[in-house]
Parts: sequence; C-alpha cells; structure tokens
Amino acid sequence: MGALMKPMIGAVLIAVAVAWLTPAQAAGQPSGSAMAHTCAGCHGTQGRLGTVEFVPLAGLPEREFLKAMGDFRSGKRAATLMGHVARGFSDDELKAMARYFATMK
Amino acid sequence: MNRRQFLQAGAGLALASALPGRAAQASAQVVIIGGGVGGATAAKYLKLANPALKVTIIETNRTYIRPYGSSEVLTGHARMEDLTVSYDALHHRYGVDFLFDTVTGFDPDKKQVRTAGRQSLAYDKLIVSPGIRLDYAAIPGYSQAIADTRIPSGWIPGPQTALLARQLQAMKPGGTFVIVAPPTPYRCPPGPYERAALVTEWMRRHNPTGKVLILDPKDNFVTDATMQLGWHRLYGYDIPADFMQDMPAGVQNTGRPAPIAWVRAKDGGTTRGIDARSLTVHTEGGPVQADVLNVIPPMRAGKLAFDLGLTNETGWCPVERRTFESSVHADVYVIGDASIADAMPKSGFSANTQAKVTAQAIVDTLAGRAPAEPVWGNTCYALAGSDYGLFVADVFRLKGGKITQVSGKRYLPLDASPTQIRLGAVYQQAWLKTFTEDCFA
Repeated sequence: MGALMKPMIGAVLIAVAVAWLTPAQAAGQPSGSAMAHTCAGCHGTQGRLGTVEFVPLAGLPEREFLKAMGDFRSGKRAATLMGHVARGFSDDELKAMARYFATMK
Repeated sequence: MNRRQFLQAGAGLALASALPGRAAQASAQVVIIGGGVGGATAAKYLKLANPALKVTIIETNRTYIRPYGSSEVLTGHARMEDLTVSYDALHHRYGVDFLFDTVTGFDPDKKQVRTAGRQSLAYDKLIVSPGIRLDYAAIPGYSQAIADTRIPSGWIPGPQTALLARQLQAMKPGGTFVIVAPPTPYRCPPGPYERAALVTEWMRRHNPTGKVLILDPKDNFVTDATMQLGWHRLYGYDIPADFMQDMPAGVQNTGRPAPIAWVRAKDGGTTRGIDARSLTVHTEGGPVQADVLNVIPPMRAGKLAFDLGLTNETGWCPVERRTFESSVHADVYVIGDASIADAMPKSGFSANTQAKVTAQAIVDTLAGRAPAEPVWGNTCYALAGSDYGLFVADVFRLKGGKITQVSGKRYLPLDASPTQIRLGAVYQQAWLKTFTEDCFA
C-alpha cells in the first residue's frame, strides 16, 4: 500500500505542477495581456469595442478565438491583414491570448 | 535656449515635493512629457495596470490634433475639427493628471523637470514622447516661415494643413500639385503616397486636367507595389518595369499620360533646393514648376528630445530595446517616433504598442520585477482611393538585442480580391476611430 501510494502522490504532484505551469508563459514568450494589447488599436482596449467593423474580443470563448486565428494563419479563412498578424504568433502564444480575452467581460 | 542652459535651468530648481525616500512604489510618480499617441497611451495603460500610480502628462496644447488621417482634410473628406482629440477621458476615466505647460528645465540626477509656468515636478520614472521635428532648413530655400505662409508641409497637422487644403482648392485648372517626399526615416511611411492618391482622386472631380507629381529622394517606399497597383487601376498610372514582374496577370501599362507621376531618385527625383517665389523645385533631374507645392522635409526627433539631451548623432534617441529606457539617462524612457526602434516604422500604431510595453516595464520595475518579454505591433491602413484600402501589418519581437519583424509578409497581397480591397478602405475609416479610442479614451 505504502509502496503504491508514493508513486501516486508523485504523479499527483506532477499533475498539479503541470497544471500550475501550463498557464504561465514559456521562456521568451510574452504574457497573454502583452500580446493582446497589440490587438487593441483595432479591437478595443482589453478587447472591448463599441464599433461594428471589427470583432470585439472581450469574452470571446477560447475555442472561437483559436479557430479564427488558426484559420487566418493557415489562409483557410480569407482576411485583409489578419493572416499576416496571425503568422506572428505560435500556438502557445495564441492560447495565452485566447485565455486573456476569454476572461475579459 | 540651448541644451546647457536648459539643463542648468533644471539644476537650479527648488525641491517642489518630497522626492528622496519616496519609498512606497504604489504611489510612485510617473511624469510623461508629450500628450500625443505615445504619451497618452502610456498614461492610460499605466493607470490600467496600476491605478495607484500618480501619472502626470505635461503637454503644451489643451487638445490633440491627430496626424493620422489628416491628409483627408485636403480633400474635404474630414474637417480640421475632426482631427481634434480631447484629453477629458484620460483625466476623468483614468485619473491622469494634466499640466498644460512647456518643459524648460530637466535635472536627470535629481529626477525633476521644470516648466515655463514655474512648476517643478519630481518623478520616479519619466516618459518622453516628443514626436518629430521637421527639418525645414535641410532643404535649401525652404524654412518654417515659408512653410507657414506659402509652401506648407502639413506633416504635423495644424494651420499648414488648412493652408494646403485652401491652395489645392484654389489651384488653377490643369495645374500641378507637387509633393516633395522625405528621405527615410520619417513619420508615417505610406503617408506621402496616400496623400498623392487622395489629391489625384479629388482632382478627377474638381480639377480634371490637374496633375499630381511626387518628387522622391528614394527608389521605393512602404506599400510601393500595392499602392502603385491602386494608382494603375484607379488613375491609369503606368507601373515602372522593375515593379511589373510581381503584378497580377492582366495588369498592362498603356503608355498614356496619367494624372499622377512618381519621379524616383534614380530618375532624378531628389530635391536639391527650392525657389519659394516661383514655386520651382530644383531636382537632380532639372527644375520642376509647381502650381501648389507641398514639401515634406527630412525629420528628426522632436525638439524636446534635443533639449533633454536624449538624441545621438543620428538625430534620434537611442534606447534600451526591451523597455525603451534611454541609453543616455536612467529612469527616462523615450517612445514613439523619436526613438530608435530598428525595424519598427515611425507610425502611430508603433508608438501605441511601444507605450504599452514601456508602461508595463515601468510597472514591473517599480514593483521590483524584471521587465517581461516584449511584443510590439504595427498596423497602418492607407488609401489609394476612397474605396481602395491598403495596409502594412507587422508583429515585432526582440531578437539578438534588436527589434525584429517576425510575421513575414507585410502588405495587401497584389492578387487581393475587390472585396478585400474595399474592406481595407472600410477598416481604414473604422481604425481612425478605434485607434483614437485605444490611445485617448
């Protein structure tokens, strides 16, 4: 029993550690908010926007943000300049931005 | 006042408020000189990140006149009033303090600035966002006095913009509107060419035999191929052979004269001097007679950057790239057009994202944290015609100590669809509003 518990505790600790580390930025990666701030000139401060031409990003579900940015990046979705912008960010970076906008209300 | 006098004026000032031993970083004082795009955005994002900070903008003018989109005043698409931006939201919504005054003294050791109105401000961190200075005298025969009265530049919006608009409207039928484009680096890289396009479009309706001529000390410009494709489609402009290879199928020059022409450096477009009385531009290719002359002179960092001793031999301000802290003075940050920012263009959008990175770096530093990994962006929309939108879009990172463009292609693709082009123009107009809001509201 004791012998069995130890590896389990270890596994749980690793899982906790992974869960703890995942939202944190990788080395050399800007924070989600820092990246999101580069969107604000068109999409509003903190993604909040009153105009109709651009998509407000505040409160956007993470999956929608990631789908849109992934499709812009691959060229699957036609764009004016969003294809160019999307190619400036990695998968992990897009996830961090998605988390930031999803938490904005 | 020269720089030595300027610094002495700062050194002699009395301590206005308790400076040393201001321990609690929550009440740290950030002073920002310059209420343009860089300074306003920095103030707003400092307060968003830490509302307890005391943030004061020192600015000469009570309202801001935005330069981006200001060429639309020439064609009547916008009025001067439309360019005017209030500071009320920054003050009332974000708690940014304003001192409408002119900085006359600076003591980087005591960390104080002094103003013409005899105010002394102590700072923990100073952000300087001085914009550009037009170097009128760099062009023989040109001066600020001539620019204010006869040959406007209209590159810093104001009375010269209004004067240029009146001159265009009064130009004789069939006259030539000549734009002298600046050498790099300069504010708003696609701007002179967008201005040329908008004036050409305006003349088609109001002065159909009028012409626009761009005299350029360069052989290329930002958005060059996409802008020229727009000119070709809208105004029958013939595209130079060296730009033809990338053009979509079906683009063919006609050999007929067009109402817009671009004379590059290699074709003698470099200006040697002007004769203000006869409105003649003396270029390397010979004299050019204008009916309306718009000279956009070489640029340097704003005067204040020189007064504060923040420039180097290039006429711009060297900074530590991660935070934009001045390479000359500690705890002083230079953002916007005045800074040396490698691959970043001197655009409002660049200044806006520089301000955000610097604001966060200041908040982190005051809290004892190392500044985070930076990321900057640039999005410039430009028009080849009212319904023909182009753009430049960039993401920038710090690589090997230099600010580097990491997103690859920058321009509207040459094979863009009519819908994309039309949308670009819609977005350009929307961007004028959303961008102003992100900076000032």
